[in-house]
Amino acid sequence: MFSTLFELLFTTPIVPAAFGGVAWGILGGALPGISPSITMALLLPFTYGMDPTPALVMLASTYVGAEYGGSIPAILIRTPGTNAAAATVVDGYAMKLQGKAGEALGISLYSGFIGGLFGLIVLVLLTERLSSVALAFTPAAYAALGVLGLSIIASLSRESLVKGLMAGVLGLMISTIGTDPVTGLNRFTFDSPELLSGIPPILVMVGLYAISELFVQSGEPGWEHVPREKARIKFPNPAMWKRLAIPQLIGSVIGTIEGVMPGGGGTVSSFLAYNEARRWSKHKEEFGHGSPEGVAAPEAANNTVACTALIPMLSLGIPSSNSSAVLLGGFLIHGLVPGPLLFVQHSEVINGLYTGLFTANVAMVIVGYLMMTPCLWLVSRPKPFLMAFIYALVASGVYAIENSLFHVGVALGFGVLGYAMRYFKMPFLPMVLGVVLGFMVESNYRRALVLSGGDRMTFLQDRISAGLLIVAVIFLTGSLVRHAMDHRHARS
Amino acid sequence: MSRLRIPLLALGLCVALAAASSAQGKYPKNVVMLVTHSSPGGGSDVFLRELSPYLARLMGVNLVIDNMQGGSGARAMAAVAKAKPDGGSFYATTPTFIYTSLLSRPAASYKDLEPLVNMFFDPEVLYTAADSRFKTLKDVLDAARQGKGKWGAANPASLERQVMERLKQKAGVTPVIATFEGGGDMLINVLNHTLDMGVGELQEISAQLDARKLRLLGVVGEARLPQFPDVRTVKEQGIDLSVRKFRGLAGPKGTSREVIAAWEAAVPKLLADPKYKALYTKNGLQPGFIPHAEYVKFMSEFGSQTEAFLKESGVIR
Repeated sequence: MFSTLFELLFTTPIVPAAFGGVAWGILGGALPGISPSITMALLLPFTYGMDPTPALVMLASTYVGAEYGGSIPAILIRTPGTNAAAATVVDGYAMKLQGKAGEALGISLYSGFIGGLFGLIVLVLLTERLSSVALAFTPAAYAALGVLGLSIIASLSRESLVKGLMAGVLGLMISTIGTDPVTGLNRFTFDSPELLSGIPPILVMVGLYAISELFVQSGEPGWEHVPREKARIKFPNPAMWKRLAIPQLIGSVIGTIEGVMPGGGGTVSSFLAYNEARRWSKHKEEFGHGSPEGVAAPEAANNTVACTALIPMLSLGIPSSNSSAVLLGGFLIHGLVPGPLLFVQHSEVINGLYTGLFTANVAMVIVGYLMMTPCLWLVSRPKPFLMAFIYALVASGVYAIENSLFHVGVALGFGVLGYAMRYFKMPFLPMVLGVVLGFMVESNYRRALVLSGGDRMTFLQDRISAGLLIVAVIFLTGSLVRHAMDHRHARS
Repeated sequence: MSRLRIPLLALGLCVALAAASSAQGKYPKNVVMLVTHSSPGGGSDVFLRELSPYLARLMGVNLVIDNMQGGSGARAMAAVAKAKPDGGSFYATTPTFIYTSLLSRPAASYKDLEPLVNMFFDPEVLYTAADSRFKTLKDVLDAARQGKGKWGAANPASLERQVMERLKQKAGVTPVIATFEGGGDMLINVLNHTLDMGVGELQEISAQLDARKLRLLGVVGEARLPQFPDVRTVKEQGIDLSVRKFRGLAGPKGTSREVIAAWEAAVPKLLADPKYKALYTKNGLQPGFIPHAEYVKFMSEFGSQTEAFLKESGVIR
């Protein structure tokens, strides 16, 4: 066990990949407006030429780094670098005003480290046993799994169910482009060989998340200028460790639950963690006026999420948040399909990823300390320069995947679509789910029917399939009931 | 300075001499591009990279492997069709390029390329799970005769699907044929007994074969495999079916006689090289040299057979 770990660490480029990913993530996270999923989407095309394991470690580490990076501008300039760092602004900025910016950053880094390790342990324990059931997954079970994944759309679109469904159907439509999975007929390819194998999900993701965000950013004024000041990170002392233990535990537990839940993600978990930490604190009065606990709880929570959000993605192939959807794209471009089978066919990739995530959490502490100055420098650059640079990065990255200008065009097209979707407040994740899961549901549904001779009972006779479908029904009814209750609340 | 110059000069002379002595045929180009549609590390790419050091020594040229992915081979085909027919660039052919030509309208189709020579065949084998109740191909066919057969093929429009459809016709049975997104996907369904039988390239299933999780039922080719002398061909088992998944080269139209002759001379030597032979046998490839004139006929037959199959199954009109 330890010898293989040792081998993994020192014979594969996991360590440099983890450090590189964390550094990239901290930079991206620190830039307001560039969320973890965008930071990952920017890196995604460049991981194509790498070996699968370091490529995935790099992407996952980016997620880890970005969750910490978001707290830097939250504490220093009262602007959260990521949505999940919004809860950190309250007490983090208050601490800065008291001249304790270094302490606040130190607490953020230390709590992120604790939360990340907690999340990693949960991730390893929960996903490890899957390989035993993997072989039992028949086409019927895969179809049911895809249906369960699509049912998440209902809970993702809390604002407007109709808009969520529209985005989901749009994604499903895109997934029908290419070769028909059963007959081999070409659908919507217009005789173009480029479309024979369909639209790669990675182009949809880069277009929707990264390019459309750049469109939005170029229409907005630059962010607040950071006064040049020295912020040196000060790590907390043992007395503070004791005080922070409770809020960190609260953050980690909430992060675990929210990470696994579809649509939860870092933002919800950090606000919940902040509230709960205040409720259980011995120094309630300090909250809102620079309480170290108010920084520790949300930062522990969002770094826990960076690990636990991978649980449904790795084990079932269902991305529950934007960031894990982008990581899923990283698997797909290497021809690896997340799901139970991954644990059987490519256990070396999974082990490498776990090792990489552990390294990333350690790397975060080191790189986070070293990157303070470059981060501050970067955030104080004129925004147009930064955005132009990022545009070039996206375009060249997409081009590099297959040296194809056609791909660049497709990604830009999805950027325009994404911009329109933002305008109409349509969520992205349902569409990505549609693109990623549509083909899986369709091909396995039809395959199961071919095998059963057209008998639809096959979906109920297969035990795994029946179980997954029941969960999907429970899930759907639950979300619909909640929707109805939200509506009634809103009216009264 | 001069001390360094002399060995360098000697080295240069050696290289020049070596190049001159090995390039007996005076191949017209120093650098030959071998274009593949497979990504670095993919099937055809690995094949070319393993072959190039041996071939380069035989022909006295530098071989460069160019990965032009995208469009299932359409980009690579277009690039080679447009290249000068001076022996400087060739496309690594597999049945994929025929399928892409027939399924879509690429800028250049297989008919716009000149087949050069064939080198190898990927043997296609029928297999089932080692703990399956089917012991022989006959068992599978008998079960299918009672209308309960479930067979698998890796992709919907592929040579493997064609094998299964033809087998169904020739044996006069009516199993259902399920298709998947690649060999690995189908393999799992053979292992968990969802499928009675699958078909695929030997190298795809070699790991499971080594682990004794699969049983071979027959070879869909002309001859038995040297690695598995006990496994009979489908023909030996009374069904007149044999396919040849080819691996060879094709160049732009108008490639000169000299160039073709140089390749026709080099490839049989390459296949006989003992070191290379050990390597490709390990990878499950069967040597299958076909000279130019025959290869042109082979390719046009393969093309029209495939076209007939695709039309029959309603994939194209």
